[in-house]
Formats: sequence, structure tokens, C-alpha cells
Amino acid sequence: MEELGKISVWSVDVAGLHLVFNLTTIYMTLSVMGILILFAFLATRNKGIVPNTFQVIAEIFVDAFWKLTRDALDEDMAKTYFPMICAMFMFLLLCNWIGILPFMDEPTKDLNTTLGLGIMGFFIAHYAGIRTKGFKGYVKEYFQPIFFMMPLNVIGEIAKVVSISFRLYGNIMGGSIIILVVSYLVYGLIIPPFLYAFFGLFVGTVQAFVFTMLTLVYISVQVK
Amino acid sequence: MEITGADFVRGLALLGAGLAMGLGAIGPGVGEGYAAGKACEAIGRKPEEAGLLTRTMLVGQAVSESTGIYSLVVALLLMFVVK
Repeated sequence: MEELGKISVWSVDVAGLHLVFNLTTIYMTLSVMGILILFAFLATRNKGIVPNTFQVIAEIFVDAFWKLTRDALDEDMAKTYFPMICAMFMFLLLCNWIGILPFMDEPTKDLNTTLGLGIMGFFIAHYAGIRTKGFKGYVKEYFQPIFFMMPLNVIGEIAKVVSISFRLYGNIMGGSIIILVVSYLVYGLIIPPFLYAFFGLFVGTVQAFVFTMLTLVYISVQVK
Repeated sequence: MEITGADFVRGLALLGAGLAMGLGAIGPGVGEGYAAGKACEAIGRKPEEAGLLTRTMLVGQAVSESTGIYSLVVALLLMFVVK
């Protein structure tokens, strides 16, 4: 139970600032990136009419997410934002699944990862909104029903970032705490593999999909 | 045994964590059950759309679960941050 809430950090003092680096998160994010780059390399190495295994998996991902993106945005805008959406889903899926391996931690167990991705989605959505409607039309959205609704609309936009990132973080962190507590209670016998299958594979997939879909919906709300 | 102010604060924080988690779990439980029931009705009416309905149901449940997740985050803050 001692490892509960413990995280390996490396803190330095630079120019009067106290900087803290979460080392586990950094290593795990880098390994997820490495696995994804390796996967992309293997999928595109021998492209052909008769695909190899990795190309089939990549084609399934691309096909499914291209349909979803095209339904939410219109055709030429979907072409711009589709690579980001698909890459985000694959990254989050691997982030949530890597915790089922021994000695590996989910990078999404750290609020910094999810909040970073949420803020990235926020900026991309608002950039798309300004790009399509122009700055004037974008500002006009905030005064939409009547002019004094402006503070509520601004708070609503900021609450989207908080809700999307805390949802992913809370799900993964809560799942790993439940796994830890139950493993401690049953001395690691019989039950933990099933918990890993539920919280790691099932909840991880659903939450990665929800995060990606909500980012897409935020972009399409700004664009419409 | 003497109970100091710090012990009192710690005890109240733990009590608050339990209350936050227990009360916060009511809403998502009711909401997710309702969504699953409605999805069952829809699948009974249109069994060929079962894949789409299951996917939509799972996404909706994951969104309605978020209030429960907020109470979990608050409970974790009360347990590990309030000293």
C-alpha cells in the first residue's frame, strides 16, 4: 500500500524557480511515442494491394476515424483535422493500455498529460473557429442570446477543458487505485487479472474514444 | 489520548471524502442505469442497429459518469492533500 500516490520526481532549482519533473510520466510518454513510431514504420514499410498485418490494423483505425470525422465536420475541413484526431486516439489508447504490462505506468495517470491534451484541443478548436468565422463572428458567438450572457459563455468554454481532462485522469487514476487496493486485500490472488482487463482494456478504450470524440465535437461546435 | 486540532481536521477530511464519494456515486449510478435501460428498449425494437446503439450508449454513459469522477477527485484531494 506504500506505493499509493507515490510518484518518482526530479526537482531542480533554476533561477529561483522550483521545477519538478515527473520522471515516470516522461519515460512512459516517450515509450508510448516510440511504440507508435515503430508501429507506423512497420505499417508503411511494405505498402501494397495485399497488406501485411500492421497495415491492416492501421487501415482499420484510419477508415473508422475518417468516417467519424467526415460526419462531424465537412469534407475539406475533415482532411485538415483528421490526422490529429486519429493520432490522438491511438496515443491515448496506447497510454491507457500500457498500464497492464508489469513495471509500466499509464502516462494518463498524471493530470499533467491529460490537462496538456485538453488545453491543446481547446486551442485547436478556437483556432478553427476564428479561421472559419473570422474574428468578429467568433467574438459575436459569446454575446449570443443576450449581451450579459458573456461571462457564462466564457466560463462554459473553460469548464470544457477541466471536465474533459479530469474525466480521463479520474477514470485511469481511480481504476489503478481500485486495482491496488483489491490486490492488497486478496494478496494478489485470482482477482487482479480480471480487474486489469476491465479497468485497463475496457475502460481505457472507452475513455480514449470519449476524449477523442469530445475534442472532435468541440471543434465542430466552434466551426458551425 | 488527547485530540488536537490537526487530528480533528484530518478526521473531518476523511469523513468528507467518504461522504463525497458515497453521495456522488448516486447520480451516475441512476443515470447510467437509465441509459442502459433505454438502449435495451431500442435494441429490442431495432435489433439490427445493436452495434451503433451500444457504441452511443457507452459514450453517453462515460460522459454522464464524469460527475462521479469529479467526486472521486475531490475525495482523493481530501484524503491525500488535506493534512
